[in-house]
Amino acid sequence: MVERQLPERQLPERLSPLEPVYHPGSHGNFEHGVDVILSETRPGSILQLAAWPGEEKRLMSGIYKVTGLALPDAAGGGVVNGAKAAFGFAPGKFTVVDEAEGLASAFTGVITPAIGTITDLSHGRTAIRIAGPKAEWVMAKFFAVDFALPAFPLGAGRSTNHHDVFAQIQRTGGDQFDIYVFRSFARSFWKALCHASEEVGYEVH
Amino acid sequence: MLINCPYCGPRDVIEFTYQGDGNRKRPQPASQDLDAWNAYVYDRLNPAGDHNEIWQHSGGCRAHLRVVRNTVTHEILSTAFARGGHKSAGHKAGGNQ
Amino acid sequence: MSPRRTETGGRIDRLRTIRFTFDGAPYTGHAGDTLASALLANGVTLFGRSFKYHRPRGLLAAGVEEPNALVTVLRGEVREPNIPATMVEIYDGLVAVSQNRSPSLAWDIGALNQLGGKLLSAGFYYKTFMGPVIGPLKGTRFWMFCEHFIRRAAGLGRAGTAPDTSRYERMNAFCDVLVVGSGPAGLMAAKAAADQGGRVILAELEAKFGGSANWSGETIDGAPAADWAGRVVGQLEGNDNVRLLPRTTVWGYYDGNTLAALERVTDHKEVPAKGEPRQRYWAIRAKTVVLATGSFERPLVFPGNDRPGVMLAHAAERYANEYGVLPGERIALFTNNDSAYRSAVALKKAGAAVVAVIDVRSDVSNEMSRLASQAEAELLAGHAVVATEGGRTLAGLKVQRFELTSGALSGDERSIHADCLLMSGGRSPTIHLASQAGAKAMWNPARQAFLPPQPTQRWIGAGAFTGSFSTAEAIAEGRSAGLQAAGGSPSSAPLPVVEAAPGEPDPAPVFEIKAKGKSFVDFQHDVTAEDVRLAHREGFVSVEHLKRYTTLGMATDQGKNSNVPGLAIMAEALGKPIPEVGTTRFRPPYTAVSIGSLAAERFGDLKPERLTPMHDWHVANGATMYAAGLWYRPMIYGLAGETVEQAYVREAAATRESAGIVDVSTLGKIAVQGPDAAEFLDRVYTNMFSTLAVGKARYGLMLREDGLAFDDGTTWRLGEQDFLMTTTTANAGKVMQHLEYFLDVIWPELKVTVTSVTDEWAGAAIGGPKARAILAACVNATAVDNATLPFMGIVHGEIAGVPVMICRLSFSGEMAFEVYSGAGYGTRVWEALIEAGKPFGLVTYGLEALGTMRIEKGHVTGAEIDGRTTARDLHLDWMLSKKKPFIGSAMMDREGLIAPDRLELVGVIALDNRALNGGGHIVEELDEENPHDSIGHITACCYSPALGKYIALALVKGGKARHGTRAFVSDPLRNRFGPVEIVSNHFYDPDGSRLHG
Repeated sequence: MVERQLPERQLPERLSPLEPVYHPGSHGNFEHGVDVILSETRPGSILQLAAWPGEEKRLMSGIYKVTGLALPDAAGGGVVNGAKAAFGFAPGKFTVVDEAEGLASAFTGVITPAIGTITDLSHGRTAIRIAGPKAEWVMAKFFAVDFALPAFPLGAGRSTNHHDVFAQIQRTGGDQFDIYVFRSFARSFWKALCHASEEVGYEVH
Repeated sequence: MLINCPYCGPRDVIEFTYQGDGNRKRPQPASQDLDAWNAYVYDRLNPAGDHNEIWQHSGGCRAHLRVVRNTVTHEILSTAFARGGHKSAGHKAGGNQ
Repeated sequence: MSPRRTETGGRIDRLRTIRFTFDGAPYTGHAGDTLASALLANGVTLFGRSFKYHRPRGLLAAGVEEPNALVTVLRGEVREPNIPATMVEIYDGLVAVSQNRSPSLAWDIGALNQLGGKLLSAGFYYKTFMGPVIGPLKGTRFWMFCEHFIRRAAGLGRAGTAPDTSRYERMNAFCDVLVVGSGPAGLMAAKAAADQGGRVILAELEAKFGGSANWSGETIDGAPAADWAGRVVGQLEGNDNVRLLPRTTVWGYYDGNTLAALERVTDHKEVPAKGEPRQRYWAIRAKTVVLATGSFERPLVFPGNDRPGVMLAHAAERYANEYGVLPGERIALFTNNDSAYRSAVALKKAGAAVVAVIDVRSDVSNEMSRLASQAEAELLAGHAVVATEGGRTLAGLKVQRFELTSGALSGDERSIHADCLLMSGGRSPTIHLASQAGAKAMWNPARQAFLPPQPTQRWIGAGAFTGSFSTAEAIAEGRSAGLQAAGGSPSSAPLPVVEAAPGEPDPAPVFEIKAKGKSFVDFQHDVTAEDVRLAHREGFVSVEHLKRYTTLGMATDQGKNSNVPGLAIMAEALGKPIPEVGTTRFRPPYTAVSIGSLAAERFGDLKPERLTPMHDWHVANGATMYAAGLWYRPMIYGLAGETVEQAYVREAAATRESAGIVDVSTLGKIAVQGPDAAEFLDRVYTNMFSTLAVGKARYGLMLREDGLAFDDGTTWRLGEQDFLMTTTTANAGKVMQHLEYFLDVIWPELKVTVTSVTDEWAGAAIGGPKARAILAACVNATAVDNATLPFMGIVHGEIAGVPVMICRLSFSGEMAFEVYSGAGYGTRVWEALIEAGKPFGLVTYGLEALGTMRIEKGHVTGAEIDGRTTARDLHLDWMLSKKKPFIGSAMMDREGLIAPDRLELVGVIALDNRALNGGGHIVEELDEENPHDSIGHITACCYSPALGKYIALALVKGGKARHGTRAFVSDPLRNRFGPVEIVSNHFYDPDGSRLHG
């Protein structure tokens, strides 16, 4: 569903679920070098777009129209372009992310009920970025997914879970991944991610 | 055990939830045929060998899959989306064979 | 100089001295030593006491299969028992102790068990302790009496009680080729696969790669085999596609070519680096596996074969060549095959006197005779060892003439003076992983061994694992397996050239020398050849039964040494060939796996938990948090000195008096969207939703397919095709799966999307006579009066500058509203509501007060919708639409579900003014001595501030018909008995006047 916006005014800043456990600086075994960088990217908009069977192409062109992101036609295919990113995470379903708020209203009228649905998850998902030479190594501690570049190309998305924590993961760089987790689990997951990164030395931006 | 999700590729069984015998036929919603309802709700095939099963990729794309699995060897013979459609655009074609 | 350390040789670093203690005594060793080799170098021969008889035991082996020398390693207060000393790498400050001895290893009181040897023979426990509990000291009761003493006397190491503070981790890995084992076969396979460009993982359970190359004394391509191995490892290290995992035991082979491995990351380090885990559990998904796991040399079964100083020949060779340690000064060898002759030569070269080679075969080849001469050893062909002598170390042995085909002994016993006796009983390929992978092993009569089965999963064998015991064969098979695994074609390039001692691989089929005295088959569980025969005499003919009755092969080493000799003795007793007796299937794990590594990060602080957007506010404002599934929710906001009951009574009373606010963010929330959303909800809920107007909410009930109640909640129509469904907190996941199942499998034609939006919205429920006034004070952009916001109405407005959605609905029974905002604004909105409520006496309340008010109102939750109740049982039959079918409608009227004696929802009031308990039974007649004839049970209870009484909800037979009648609570477990009155579940404001204001 689309959250009603009060478009005429800037909305107050949202509170991050990571607030009390987010400690910028170097941590863990960093004396031997920092091999991963962790951050919360705090995009303004996180949307789920879902197409009815047969309407996927129209939905993808709608995404292109609104965001300029041209999605590859492949399961889990995705694309990153500066402030915006999109990827498929399930049959006919896509996550579209924008640094700016208010992306949902831009899709109203483009993704019509005949094509599919728009669900605003801007508050409900927390975006965590892991980058650095040991990003794949740390990710492998959590997810039973092959993170090697040939198996998980740039831009691609994956749906998986770590115990009860659902995660959508997009590769946003050669050694960079953006992880979308349920907000209620975000702090727990962040703590676990920091813990797992101690071994390689990590920095929080 | 690995199940080859037609969307996500082969994934560990811990990402999946078993959703029962895939041979069951649900009677028409308005049906009053209690025998048919009983068969649907309670009767299960329990073959030693190939079996039609429904699995949900609950820890992944959440799609329900029709899986043919050998209950003796655990070999997965085929997987496919339970829901038809979704043939083109953003989907791998079919499951593994 | 240590008494047993050789002057030169070995692959230890003699320049680095390492200090450690064993049983409190200080010792030194060198880098590269195991605890076993370092102690042996110091002249230690006694390592442990045996399981049942407390016999003195020394080292049998040099590797993972060691059954005797089990030790406990201490790190601070944390103790890890039952580690083979052969697998402990020494480090400065290592503290290890021996096991199963009292008061000390040398003077062990339990050794008296040896005198009563017969008492502890096979089946001792079954015979002595199984039976009815009759009489003071018989059968099972006798066991209960003796258990304490027996458990102390028999057994292995003692587990610690201090919490293990080590870090454990789980890793997921993917590769084209997993190579298990890094002997010459494994190294060649890894190299060949990596050269093809495949992603390769090479796992080696020991610290050093190379396997037998490290101690075989052979040369490969003109260099010592160990140097060749080092070179290959260096090449692999330089390849980005290769991951080398030393100290990593692949312990499980599962379906889909998924393998489990344990990496001991820091067990060999004094102090781990920051963040470094102690152990890593690797879950490896390999396209193809190369099994190059080698083989184990087998012991021979003869009297006194367990005396310290009796060891496997390959183990002695390894101690001498790899660690520079001689296991004895005067060494004798006892063999049924050629490989012991190479060992004899190696030990002679290392500086020991080899006094005799005793071979059960009378016909020994000239080549072997020459090797015996080279070792300056007397060759006693056609002889067997019939006894050993000595106490805690070997003093000598006795031999007799032996006839190979009959097993008969003849002639005089001859004594040989020796301090070390080496056994070589043939080799068993290490087929455990192949067996786990699913197929039965095949007996090979020439090798006298079980060889790996035909693969049922994608693996290829190489080297000694396949029964090819020579290094040249291992190298050839390794390369071929590696190429094949990586999808390459066979190579005709020349192979590395091996120079090795001569010898045939096949042993004589001799497993046991039958002479007087205890001959051990399973060293770790103290099972003798006679135990196996006794089991047979008592009727155990199946190998599976034999195993369980004698416990043969069931110790922590899982019979790595004993399986084949045990089977051979069993086969002889049965008069059947070995393949007809069969072997048991190996099960994971191959070696012991720490529980910590399996639990990994799902433990303590790292266990996943769910927090609401207002969590920090609750904690900062005095809430006692309560774990509800994975969620944490405020239970009470206690004031100083308040009990839980005082706190919730205050919170509930204040809510009914003025107003209260509670965090309801945990309620399951599902967006149901699409052109067919209303139709879908009509099918899913028992009542109609297609008739619901936009901007309105409705209470809904779902049934399961079998007609029983499933879940309830309100669903809000936000747009024509846009609904927000709420579920109970506990059932959110189940309801989501239920909806997804029907959309995917049953009604794929419906155009509906369901999405979990639980985490999108923060929810605050504010209720009480002042609730509307509080909202009016802080809500902008909408009115909240009765006309704008009637019961079950929804408005959109703004609080503290952020958009909110407000629905007027009530769980507490008061005029109440649920205020939803984006989760990131949850605390902001919550604080604004609290601020606005201050002049009105608004209180925060937790789960206890929430529960209290719902009990007073008689609303149901998961305690009543327990999977056994129907809508009628809960008086919700008014919600069962007759105008449409819905999930469960066809099944809900079955005979058993409409029977008059079903349990129905009622209210219960304690007439003795004492608290009731959930789960307490309701009875018509009170009988504290012999409670009987329950007519139902309590599902939820509280002290009701509104009624001034202890009340409860209950499910009781007859239900409504009993309103106004007297019954009793009968709760023998908590000794709570007393009179109650059965009433309507609607205790408070039954006509709902308060919620309409």
